[in-house]
Amino acid sequence: MVFSSVYFLFLYLPAVLLIYYITPLSWRNGVLLLFNLLFYGWGEPRYILIMFASIAIDYTHGILVTRCKRRGNDRGARLAVASSVFFNLALLFFFKYWDFLARSLSAAGVHIMPVLNIRLPIGISFYTFQTMSYTIDVYRGDARCQRNIITFGTFVTLFPQLIAGPIIKYKDLDRQLEKRTHSPERFAAGVQIFVVGLAKKVLLANNLGMLWDAYKAMPAGQLTTAGAWLGIWAFSLQLYFDFSGYSDMATGLGRMLGFEFSPNFRYPYTARSITQFWRQWHISLGSWFREYLYIPLGGSRVGRGRLFLNLLVVWAATGIWHGASWNFLLWGLYFAALLIAEKFFLLTWLERLPRPLQHLYTLFFVLVSWAIFAVEDFSHMGVYLAALFGAAKGGLADGTVWYYLRSYLPMLAVGCTAALPLGAQAWNRLKQTPRLVLLPVLLLAGLVLSTAYLVDATYNPFLYFRF
Amino acid sequence: MSKKYCIFISALFCAFLTVFLAAGAITPDRAFSPLENRTLEQLPSPTVKTVLNGSFMSSFEAYVTDQFPGRDIWVDMKARTEKAMGKQENNGVYFCKGDALIARFDAPDSTQLTANLNYVNQFAAKADIPVYFSLIPSAADVWADRLPAGAPNASQTAVLQQAAALPDVRWYDTRAALTAHSGEDIYYRTDHHWTSLGAYYGYTALMGALGKTPVSLSQYTKTTRSADFYGTLFSSSGVRWIAPDAIDTYVPEDGITVTSFTYDSKGTPVEEPRALYDTSYLSVKDKYSMFLGGNQSLGVVRTPHTDKPKLLIIRDSYADSLVPFLTPHFSEIHLLDLRYSKLSISGYIQEQGIDQALVLYSVPNFVSDRNLVWIAR
Repeated sequence: MVFSSVYFLFLYLPAVLLIYYITPLSWRNGVLLLFNLLFYGWGEPRYILIMFASIAIDYTHGILVTRCKRRGNDRGARLAVASSVFFNLALLFFFKYWDFLARSLSAAGVHIMPVLNIRLPIGISFYTFQTMSYTIDVYRGDARCQRNIITFGTFVTLFPQLIAGPIIKYKDLDRQLEKRTHSPERFAAGVQIFVVGLAKKVLLANNLGMLWDAYKAMPAGQLTTAGAWLGIWAFSLQLYFDFSGYSDMATGLGRMLGFEFSPNFRYPYTARSITQFWRQWHISLGSWFREYLYIPLGGSRVGRGRLFLNLLVVWAATGIWHGASWNFLLWGLYFAALLIAEKFFLLTWLERLPRPLQHLYTLFFVLVSWAIFAVEDFSHMGVYLAALFGAAKGGLADGTVWYYLRSYLPMLAVGCTAALPLGAQAWNRLKQTPRLVLLPVLLLAGLVLSTAYLVDATYNPFLYFRF
Repeated sequence: MSKKYCIFISALFCAFLTVFLAAGAITPDRAFSPLENRTLEQLPSPTVKTVLNGSFMSSFEAYVTDQFPGRDIWVDMKARTEKAMGKQENNGVYFCKGDALIARFDAPDSTQLTANLNYVNQFAAKADIPVYFSLIPSAADVWADRLPAGAPNASQTAVLQQAAALPDVRWYDTRAALTAHSGEDIYYRTDHHWTSLGAYYGYTALMGALGKTPVSLSQYTKTTRSADFYGTLFSSSGVRWIAPDAIDTYVPEDGITVTSFTYDSKGTPVEEPRALYDTSYLSVKDKYSMFLGGNQSLGVVRTPHTDKPKLLIIRDSYADSLVPFLTPHFSEIHLLDLRYSKLSISGYIQEQGIDQALVLYSVPNFVSDRNLVWIAR
């Protein structure tokens, strides 16, 4: 199930909220667990088994680690952590990377792995990372061992952030799982964040996505340089609103159910370096890799050569985490190169530049990175990158660019404004009364328009005539 | 923000969600959507099997969205929002000058196009009778000057050139006849078909190819059959703010009989009487089906001119409004729709004593059609 759908909004969500709130406090985790499983199993019922496996593996490993630690058996505890990491990565590897590897190998002439055509279980990259962090944190003493399997199951399957993050560590949710406060203030705050997220996804991301689709699919002969930049501009906004909108919806839903998640995006397009960009973009992923990969590798308190290697490993992993395809690996390495350069010398140079140039530098490299990210086919990626840098078969610009620019200019303007903190700043500067009046109006407008777009997306005239 | 205000905001949100849930539960489910021209999903009942394989869930999703209260109003609102945001198209339909809606023409799949052209040529090469061939460009070509400036629109003339080069057909040019009158109402503004007037110009082109003199339009009186026709582009665009089209006819239907040959559910052949103009369709959404009563696999139009030749048209729905103009020149006009009819065409030509054949499609239909393989069999 996804949040931006008619049946989620008008059926599943009201049902969850109603049943959740009429259930006594001590039963709420159990109710939530059932709804989580319904949410997950909706699209692919068989994959609920992965959920059960995930819960069982990490629940038992958590207990195992605690037992070994209590007996002073550090080796045993480490072994248990290693085993948990192994199982989680095995799940992730099998479901996400098996076919990718099998296809790549057979393309290279090595036929040792059969292609299984596995359907990717949604959210597997997110929840395997979450559960992995649990056992590690129990071992490190950062998290308590959870002995109630229903509470633990609720954490693993928590529907607001199950399929697209933010990646929440058990230690951050531990207390909230046991006891959380429900109040109208928290619920109303959740409503606001959720509606903002919904509007970002349905009104901005989907719309700008159509502009990107037009350019992504454009044959090489028609692609112009101006068009390639327009397309990648649209994609940069689409991806941001899609992802951050989903995170907002998760945060909002979490609050409605009494949970508090930390923010996943902080206006990343305002960053003045790539280093800063990654501190503001998909924060929960960055911090996960930092805590469970980069720092264990020695972090930055190592020699230059080792630091170089550490960054390379972390960013290759970050890249391939985004999808089982070579372009994502390349995308990760692209950022590795930039971040290494920034760490070794570029950042000090950058700081001497005027601010607008720092922004320009960041946006330029981020936009180019999206072309690597979004175009999976390497030969077409080459064509697209060449077009960005002036070598477009269609020339610099054509009538189509103007058509699309005129059609999407208001949308792009709204998108750029919404990607900056301007809206939030203006809102905070408003006096109490206009805010109280405006809020319900904006909420309703957001809900009504989003509904119109969601319903229209399912509008499917059977065009008899297509004849 | 006070506690009371927060309760208000929370209640507002919950009310919005539940209002539609309740409205959906109260309002009776619709079986058919005239605007979308399709049957709507009904409430599925779950079985162990359908739940486990997920098919219950997908039908249930389709049910919820299909039966969503005020569905058509939401679609209208989305189209208006798009227009207000500066968009010049919605769901693949351009908002054009002169209150016209024009479907975008995308670059055709060249393999499919070449295959289709080859099928037509094979058919012509094998046939013992002359085979005439033409493709009707859509409004996106003839009315290209009405499209929004710079709007992406693939070339239809490239398709026509490729078709004109077929060696064994008698190609004739419909496009030139239409472009000469592009200032007139030759296409519907809300539908993808040509109007009777457009069909008349198409008819003059065909007459030129056949070496016959077309009946002058001034010899006919125009009859407006309907003044509130909203066609397929109206449906798919979601645009609800433009004026309806008029459906005109020119040719009187005196002495003309139409018979549709089809099969019932048991597979036994059935003959069904039809009419050149079936006015019962004027009271429903699908008004274009007034011409010959809409889709049929095989239709035979018989005229009082029994001394004239017999024509076979392998065609799409554009031919339905062309046929009235052909009635003075033929004793019988046989209409074959390859989507529904898989009969052996060469056998049929012999059996029926057909004198001439015509393959006539609109460009968008021709390039995407997957049934032309049956023409060559």
